[in-house]
Amino acid sequence: MLVIRGLTKTYSSGVHALRDVTLDVPAGMFGLLGPNGAGKTTLMKILATLLEPNSGSAHMRDVDLISDKRRARRLLGYLPQDFGFYPTLRADQMLDFFAQLKGVLSVKERRRLVDVLLERVNLSDARRQKLSEFSGGMRQRLGIAQALIGNPLLIIVDEPTSGLDPDERVRFHNLLAESAGEDTVVMLSTHIVSDVSSLCSHMAIIREGEILVSTTPAAAIDELDGSIWEASVPHEKIAGLKTRCRVLSSQMVGGLVRLRVISRNDRPSEEFKPAGAVLEDYYFNLVNEQKRAS
Amino acid sequence: MRILPAPFVAIFKNEVRLNAKRIAPYFMALLCAANGVLWWGWGPATRYGWAVNSDFFISGVLPVYSFFTLPLFTALFMADPVIKDFRAEIDPLIFSKPISRAPYLLGKFAGNFFVLACCQSAFVLSWFLLQMVHKEGVVVVPGVTVVPYIKHFLVFVVISHLVLAAFYFVVGALTRSAKIVYGLGVSFYPIYITYQTVAINSLSPRWRSILDPLVMNWNNVHAERRAPEFVNHMRVVYGYDLIANRAAMLLIAALLLTLLYNRFKTLEGSQQAENFSLLNLATNSGHFYEMPGVVLRDVQKPVDLVPLPAVNTANERFANNLRKLIAALAIEFRLLLSERSLFVVMSLAVFLSVLEVTFWPVSADPSFSAGYAGNTATSMLLFLVGIPIFYTGEAIHRDSDVRVEGLLWSHPIPNYVILSAKFLSTLLLVLGLIFSVGVIAIVVQIVKGNTPLQLSAYLNVYSLILVPNAVFLCAMSLVLHVLLPGRYLAYAVGIGICIGLFYFYSQGHLGALYNPLLFKVWSYSDLAGPNRLRILMLRGYTLTLAAGLITFAHLANARRTLRMRS
Repeated sequence: MLVIRGLTKTYSSGVHALRDVTLDVPAGMFGLLGPNGAGKTTLMKILATLLEPNSGSAHMRDVDLISDKRRARRLLGYLPQDFGFYPTLRADQMLDFFAQLKGVLSVKERRRLVDVLLERVNLSDARRQKLSEFSGGMRQRLGIAQALIGNPLLIIVDEPTSGLDPDERVRFHNLLAESAGEDTVVMLSTHIVSDVSSLCSHMAIIREGEILVSTTPAAAIDELDGSIWEASVPHEKIAGLKTRCRVLSSQMVGGLVRLRVISRNDRPSEEFKPAGAVLEDYYFNLVNEQKRAS
Repeated sequence: MRILPAPFVAIFKNEVRLNAKRIAPYFMALLCAANGVLWWGWGPATRYGWAVNSDFFISGVLPVYSFFTLPLFTALFMADPVIKDFRAEIDPLIFSKPISRAPYLLGKFAGNFFVLACCQSAFVLSWFLLQMVHKEGVVVVPGVTVVPYIKHFLVFVVISHLVLAAFYFVVGALTRSAKIVYGLGVSFYPIYITYQTVAINSLSPRWRSILDPLVMNWNNVHAERRAPEFVNHMRVVYGYDLIANRAAMLLIAALLLTLLYNRFKTLEGSQQAENFSLLNLATNSGHFYEMPGVVLRDVQKPVDLVPLPAVNTANERFANNLRKLIAALAIEFRLLLSERSLFVVMSLAVFLSVLEVTFWPVSADPSFSAGYAGNTATSMLLFLVGIPIFYTGEAIHRDSDVRVEGLLWSHPIPNYVILSAKFLSTLLLVLGLIFSVGVIAIVVQIVKGNTPLQLSAYLNVYSLILVPNAVFLCAMSLVLHVLLPGRYLAYAVGIGICIGLFYFYSQGHLGALYNPLLFKVWSYSDLAGPNRLRILMLRGYTLTLAAGLITFAHLANARRTLRMRS
């Protein structure tokens, strides 16, 4: 289990990226959900030993990720949000290099590992291709391949599926799900709700550097079950409905505005029909409540 | 500026603004002004009694000023104005606006050349101001000189560098590789000197003047031989040969830019910017969203995935880190060899290092082999300075350029492994150059029949002079690139230090303490004769300094990476 206590990070520009973040992350897939600028990448970088927090601690088993970086990196597989490879190298050369850096020093083991990794990420045919010729999806798959080297216990993937097409996303999700062994923590940061709802057994929502909630996707959806209502209404009616109902989201569909509202007790008005709750509703409701409270 | 097209003005202004935020222009202006002060107070004028604000002196010095260091800065300024847009991926934003190639390219060129010329003018500006300063031994003609500064600066400096700037700009924009331009910038001196000595040296003075792009051959009516009283009041008139030369230079610059206009393509995929495999995955970011169209069934139950083999990892002992260092070195060297500029620079370095021994007679002092080895060792010094500065910079900054730092730093490797690999790869490259030059010099010696061949002479010179110098210069480059925030600043500081030291040494200050390269203080008899022990001690001193610099670089690098992480 990954235990994070009181992590705080303020950049020299004065931006408070993390405010007293405390989390218990069990083995399995854990989704960190939040909008851009919420502090996801900062938290990921700190856990990946690439950024110093101002205060707080993070432990994976008995390893202190903040102060004992060398040991921490042996447990770690990291796929950053922005990354690249040496463009003139080939895929197998790049993986072989990372395997050596990870401490896989036996040539025979390394060769076998690189073969299997490339096969797993479906890049065996491109193994001798230069990385400058790789598409975004191929590079992303190679990125996850390098993160899996050395049987890491903590895999950190930061916004891994933005920019991938649907096929690549599914392939990537499969890879991640398979990598989450019994003892492995896979921490996935994203702003795409469906990534979390379909992949993760646990999740946390972060906003403005603070963890708003840590729960499971199922529990989050259950909490709103029966409270979500949806209606497609003309634009003129929106102002009136907004004063009467707690609107979660609105979207233009076919010239009408599709409103999703929360009402725990009764139907908000005639136009509304009951709708199944989704994780996005939970997120917006949480954010709205927090705004009202503050 | 209303008469100019708005896109041109916008691009021009933007280039000036971007340059105003760089360190290089300020550094260059400072260097030029300092150069001006040196020429004013400690140059030939004080020796010969020439007035520093005379027409003769200004027109005589400016071509020389134009030759020293400025071509390097011209390459630095003009290499990447277009490349920057492609590298930063702003090109689609710019070219989707109603702007054609002409205002874009001209705006880029003019904006950067304007900044370059402003920096160069610091030299004459310092002279203009120094007219008002009294110093013993410095003669001035009465009255304040204004026009000659402007006129001669435009004729001897601006026009010369307009051609160079156009050439570098065209190469940079068409190849989209700043490295090729820097390579050409470094090659300028050897090419120009070869051109002077081989191509136009035998021509008449008039033709030499016409065909010399920097008008170094422009003969100032042999005024040096006349009395100072005469030359100080002499009015310089440009001859037809000079006017023809300058007109030709302007024409060539225009032709180069026209060529660029015809060849430059803004279409995506027509050419690649330097292919850093940058990947920004946040392209779809901006809001928090569902993707309802995507079916993600069975995600939790993937099938047919090959299990990863169990592997043993070893990270603890020094020997394991040494193996990681060898792996990192292999990768660094592979990356270095894939640099497109390397082939050109290395070939040029080898060619120019053996040029003299190939085409001119070598004296047998004390033997032919000693002469060949000593001559090539001296010729190689420029490249021993330039190659480490340039390629260490590439190696140090490559990881952040291609955004692989995050991946590298999250692996269990000590800092020294990464840095040492970069240092050693550059050192190996330089040692490769030394070896290649040695082999070719031996072949040339045999072919020219200057036998007998003494391998020990080559070994003596190369191992005692070149190898320690290479180690020291690589270590020095490493420190500069670790300490200074940008590679261009490191290039500029490195070049500045070399020029400063060269000037210092040329004044006769050659003490061993501050001359670790043993510049001008050794002969072959020292290496093989009774002074050998002294030379060995001096080389020990050089290597100790290098070791100190490497240690310092590692300490500074630890701080640098820590700073980047906080």
